[in-house]
Amino acid sequence: MKLAQKYNRVNLITSLIILVLSGGIYYFAIHYILTNKLDNDLKIEEEEIVASVHEYHKLPLPSDFKDQKVTYLKLKEGESAERSFSNTTYNNPGEKETEPGRSLVTTVKVGTQDYLVTITKSSLEAEDLIRLIFLITLGVIIVLLISLIAVNRFILNSLWRPFYEMLKQLKAFNLADQNEFSVQHTQIDEFRELNQSVISMSTRVRQDYKELKSFTDNASHEMMTPLAVINSKLDTLIQTEALSDRQGELIEDVYLAVNKLSRLNQSLLLLAKIENNLIKDEEDIMLDVLVAQKLRQFNELFIANGITLEKNLEPQRLYMSKYLADIMLNNLINNAIRHNKQNGQITVHLAAGKFSVANTGVDKALDSHRAFERFYKDSSSEGTGLGLAITSQICNLYNYKLSYSHEADRHVFTIKFQMPV
Amino acid sequence: MKILLIEDEVALRDSIIAYFTEEGSICETADDYATALTKINIYNYDCIVLDLTLPDGDGMEILRNLKRLHKNDGVLIISARHSLDDKLSGLNLGADDYLVKPFHLSELKARVSAIVRRKSFDGNNLILFHEINIDTLAMKTMVGQNSVNLTKKEYDLLVYFIANQSKVITKGALAEHLWGDEIDLSDHFDFIYTHIKNLRKKLVEAGCNDYIKSMYGVGYKFSS
Repeated sequence: MKLAQKYNRVNLITSLIILVLSGGIYYFAIHYILTNKLDNDLKIEEEEIVASVHEYHKLPLPSDFKDQKVTYLKLKEGESAERSFSNTTYNNPGEKETEPGRSLVTTVKVGTQDYLVTITKSSLEAEDLIRLIFLITLGVIIVLLISLIAVNRFILNSLWRPFYEMLKQLKAFNLADQNEFSVQHTQIDEFRELNQSVISMSTRVRQDYKELKSFTDNASHEMMTPLAVINSKLDTLIQTEALSDRQGELIEDVYLAVNKLSRLNQSLLLLAKIENNLIKDEEDIMLDVLVAQKLRQFNELFIANGITLEKNLEPQRLYMSKYLADIMLNNLINNAIRHNKQNGQITVHLAAGKFSVANTGVDKALDSHRAFERFYKDSSSEGTGLGLAITSQICNLYNYKLSYSHEADRHVFTIKFQMPV
Repeated sequence: MKILLIEDEVALRDSIIAYFTEEGSICETADDYATALTKINIYNYDCIVLDLTLPDGDGMEILRNLKRLHKNDGVLIISARHSLDDKLSGLNLGADDYLVKPFHLSELKARVSAIVRRKSFDGNNLILFHEINIDTLAMKTMVGQNSVNLTKKEYDLLVYFIANQSKVITKGALAEHLWGDEIDLSDHFDFIYTHIKNLRKKLVEAGCNDYIKSMYGVGYKFSS
């Protein structure tokens, strides 16, 4: 839920409750006041009747005034009535309809005779007044709510705009490109502080990243140079005369280890580069052409290992770095050869946005979750254990889906390309 | 041939000098940017082997200076940086080739020889070794008067051998030269044996001496 929405909801519910409560209180208060006023009028009428009886010793004529009616009833001997106010109805003779009314029942003594006097007054006007007040209150509530919603929506939106602007830029933040944050001017202290913090944070992160990058670069240089020295010294060593067979074997092992070490170092550097999205030479490439070319390159290896190749390539255009495409294919094909068995098979398919390399090999399926992890490999494997990790990183970079499955004694690696809609 | 080696790492420099001078080439060295700059200003070289990271300057600057001086020296960059950008900007600045550290001395030698051959203006596209005669433009190989029909790999192998004559070349170096470092051949080194066997057979059949000697465990040597 958005902050504005949440705030709006709480705000509206609270306003509604308070307004309804105050409306109710208002209604009852006015009702009470108006009833009191009617009762006062009734009392004045009663006093007038009592005064008239006192002066003339007879009841005034049971007259109907506007909105007022007085009736007398002779009380029998011993009968008495409580003086009381009550809500009744009032028959308006002029308009011939029944209206709500308020009546006072009291007794008057004329001589020795007790009379029951009922004074009824129409309370229609009061009710009208209350209704009017109620409607006005309701109108005010509605107007208030609508304006609250509108104000919240527009004001909050415009108030939060710097925040959303910053959020958008944060989402698009990429260490590799050098775009600075563009900051919207804002009067709000919190947002100004946020903007300043984000800018200083990004500067710091960029600085660290730069240092890390130069560290990686330097580390590579520093490691490659001793490796180059070892290699060159070995090359020099084997030129010396009278190298025994045993020595030759030992030197070959050292060569292999140095070769592996430099491959490992290069692979780690490559991984770091892909992860940091530093390889940006995307171009349109025809994958089918590239795959066919790769398979030709590997052809001798297939023959040497007695591997039969089955291929089915349909045209597929991709927009990616050719360098990375090369590495991706090399890794997959190298793996398919390395983990194959003698006189095995490799099937390469490229169709309908899917590229797959399937090879025969050991019967046991790989752990499909861990296969793409770094340094996940068979202990007998000569590889660096980084090939699939690199391939997986490349696929991540371009939003391709790389998956592994074991079907019918074949290890299948499939890459699904995002088809443009 | 006359070579200038610009490299600050002493141990590597010594190995390269030892490997090159035995051949009768003149190999001069510069261990920093300033010395290198002085030398390229005064002398002409057939090939300059240039390390990009020098203690007191950027190797790329040397390339720019060569261009400014209108020098036609061949340049081979050796760098620890396996970066596409460096490679491209190096080649754009007029370098002839780019070799990533670590490398085999035999590979360096083969590449330098190729650059020197390409750079020489006296139509010197011939490689001669006793009775073997290779025309690098037409990619034609003759033994005496007999033409030898070699595959691309066998041809590359022979050129590589002659560039590194009398040197022991490892199987790894040969494999890397023939197939590049894209194909990881570390478990299949012996598989280059087929190519060497075929090359030897074709040469011998054309009446050539057998110059290819197998060095057990290490590799091969091409010598008379």
